[in-house]
Amino acid sequence: MAPAELFSKEIMVFEKHRKEWSRSHPGEYVVIQDEIIADGFFRTYAEALKAGLRRFGVQRSFLIKQVWKTEPVYFVS
Amino acid sequence: MATIELSWNPSDPLDPGPCIDVTVMNSADVIEAGQAIGLEYPKPVRMKALLDTGASVTVISKTFANHCKLFQTSQSFEISAIGATHTCGEHAGAISFPGTPLRPLNAIRIVSAVFAKERHYACLIGRDILRNWTITFDGPSKKVTITE
Repeated sequence: MAPAELFSKEIMVFEKHRKEWSRSHPGEYVVIQDEIIADGFFRTYAEALKAGLRRFGVQRSFLIKQVWKTEPVYFVS
Repeated sequence: MATIELSWNPSDPLDPGPCIDVTVMNSADVIEAGQAIGLEYPKPVRMKALLDTGASVTVISKTFANHCKLFQTSQSFEISAIGATHTCGEHAGAISFPGTPLRPLNAIRIVSAVFAKERHYACLIGRDILRNWTITFDGPSKKVTITE
């Protein structure tokens, strides 16, 4: 699978909910694999990882995404 | 309280900045889940890391991220470096600081990026980790002190 296609399904699911989630859970993390959303929102990346492993296991990647209204760009200088 | 000292000569153009040895591997939870279904993971890799107050996140060379088989959790992480924006992979990893009393960090977000022509270090320790420490730089003695 080409890198650009990685997580494409998950990103589509995320984008479908972004507006709603950015109002209800800004800054929290959500976990998605294919079209399945793990239950709940998580305050930290580590909590989201644990929840993803519990729900989906480790055989295939799952998306961990922090909920923001627009996608932030992180600066590295 | 843990304290360590690093050397940094800001007058030396070949000195990249304060560097610390780190080992990078998958988080304990990922390894445990993987081993339970027969997956194998490489041993932790030791590398030099630059303390980078200009980096908002911790970044590892893509080569090392692949070598360590870091568990990937996103492919759309955008970083801006010197005016250009790059889309990077995001991974769940663990970082420890061998030979120091600094606490290891399990299950943190690590971004992978291409480190073009960089020979001094393979990792940038960003503010997501630096914020846990008190760091001072003594210019005349060229010493950086980290206190946790």
